[in-house]
Amino acid sequence: MSGGVYLLEGVRYAYPASSSPFALEVESLRLGRGQVLALVGPNGAGKSTLLMLLAFLIRQNRGRLAYRDEDPWADEQAMVSARREAVLVTHHPYLFKGTVGDNLAFGLKLRNVPEAERPRRVADALSLVELTGRERTPVQALSAGQAQRAALARAVVLRPRVLLLDEPTAAIDAGTGHRVEAVLRELSREHGTTVVFSTHDFSQATRLADDILYLTDGRRVEFSHENCFSGTAATDGTMSWIEPKPGLRIAFPGQRTGHVTCVIDPARISVRPGDGLGTDAGRNVFAGRITRLDLIDPGSALVRVGGELTFRALVPAAEVEAKGLSLARNVRLEFDPDSVQVSGPPALGKNND
Amino acid sequence: MILSELGLAIWVSLKTSGLAALAASLLAVPAALFLAGREFRGKRLILLVNQTWMAAPTVVIGLFFYYLLGRRGLLGGLGLLYTQTAMVVGQVVLILPLILGFAYTALRQVDKRARLTALTLGATRRQAGRVVLREARFALLTAVLAGFARAISEVGIAMMLGGNIRSATRNITTSIALETAKGEFQNGVVMGLILLAITLGTNALVQAGLRTRDGE
Repeated sequence: MSGGVYLLEGVRYAYPASSSPFALEVESLRLGRGQVLALVGPNGAGKSTLLMLLAFLIRQNRGRLAYRDEDPWADEQAMVSARREAVLVTHHPYLFKGTVGDNLAFGLKLRNVPEAERPRRVADALSLVELTGRERTPVQALSAGQAQRAALARAVVLRPRVLLLDEPTAAIDAGTGHRVEAVLRELSREHGTTVVFSTHDFSQATRLADDILYLTDGRRVEFSHENCFSGTAATDGTMSWIEPKPGLRIAFPGQRTGHVTCVIDPARISVRPGDGLGTDAGRNVFAGRITRLDLIDPGSALVRVGGELTFRALVPAAEVEAKGLSLARNVRLEFDPDSVQVSGPPALGKNND
Repeated sequence: MILSELGLAIWVSLKTSGLAALAASLLAVPAALFLAGREFRGKRLILLVNQTWMAAPTVVIGLFFYYLLGRRGLLGGLGLLYTQTAMVVGQVVLILPLILGFAYTALRQVDKRARLTALTLGATRRQAGRVVLREARFALLTAVLAGFARAISEVGIAMMLGGNIRSATRNITTSIALETAKGEFQNGVVMGLILLAITLGTNALVQAGLRTRDGE
């Protein structure tokens, strides 16, 4: 993998003392210099676990994870060196007691950056996240959004090869979120920084990332834009008008207002033979015809269904035979509203997540 | 009681208690860091024993070391009985569980993300441990000062292991006991007030530390 940054092959990770099987299973993943990868998926899908693996904070139980063609876990020295190149900003970042400047200087001291150089680098990083002149501000005086940006600056000041971010814009307003996105874009394009971030905002993922990795139940799901639809939330708060197919609706959990994006988990779409059956969009039932059917591993098959909308479903291989699913077969798709991941502004006073 | 004797007793108190607090902290704080950062079988038992040990009477500890360091004791050959070293050893044993208990609580209260954040920023495990200690520094200072206050105000160990020898092991608390036994209540009261002033000063430092911590 010459020039590559990460290579994951058959990686499995299970949390210690967990009775459930692997929390994460990644068959194959390659990441290169300057690449931006978005991790999308529902809560508990394994996004944070993957970020922790990429930050070398946890070690895979099985498989191979190479960082710049080396094993980062070869010894303590290799691990610390790798960690100093791949910096993670956690979901709810922790700022050390003291000032913003103290926090930004922490990693620089660890890397033996000359003391004379530190103030300039700190100032540059703070300016990048629009916190200019906040070096002496005590961290407890920062708002949640400022703290998030300070944590980003604390990572950026280190000029890492890899920047890993767990929901970097989850706790901040839209304006600040766009500023953070601009910083990530600049780091990737201007400095060749590899960026991996997790998000629930599918539109952010499509805006920022070169690639999107959709995870569900710790597994990579073959994702394509077929299962992604944008539209406007309906007034009853439970439906979305789908564009460019007005009249079709998808039911999703919670309430949203304005423009929303829906992503349907392929593993939770059920496919049944359905000759002559029509669409009942309000109940997430869609009619279509199988246009592609691929056995992706011994246990499951990817079924592409075209109709008024195009879906891709992950179906257990046993069901393919049992239900007589085959190419050009008319089928009926059905999915629960809970299998729809929706991003967009929430309705006021409602909790959608 | 002449002033030079008084000054010497204060010095012995400060020196032995200071050394005991320092030595006990050097043992207790790393132990607390180890206990706070790990879950293992037997940890609860260790904490239970430590809590029980906190309530051990000073005379019992004094008695134990008296037999250990006495001429016929296991460590009698070291000739430590009735020396300041023996007082320090006894006081270390007295305040070790106190500092360990306070330090353990302080370190458990440090946000778990502090260590993780240090690691993500490239710290080694040792450096990450230092970060955790720094985050709890005021509470740890409180633990050390509480240990010092306990050591300087005890009398059982100082009397049994120090022997209250003039110009050698006599400290404030044993001086008070002696002056009172002699019927020199005035001297005893003066010494008592000095001891109170020292413990008050120590407690004021503890409170200041707590206020600073809470203010952060």
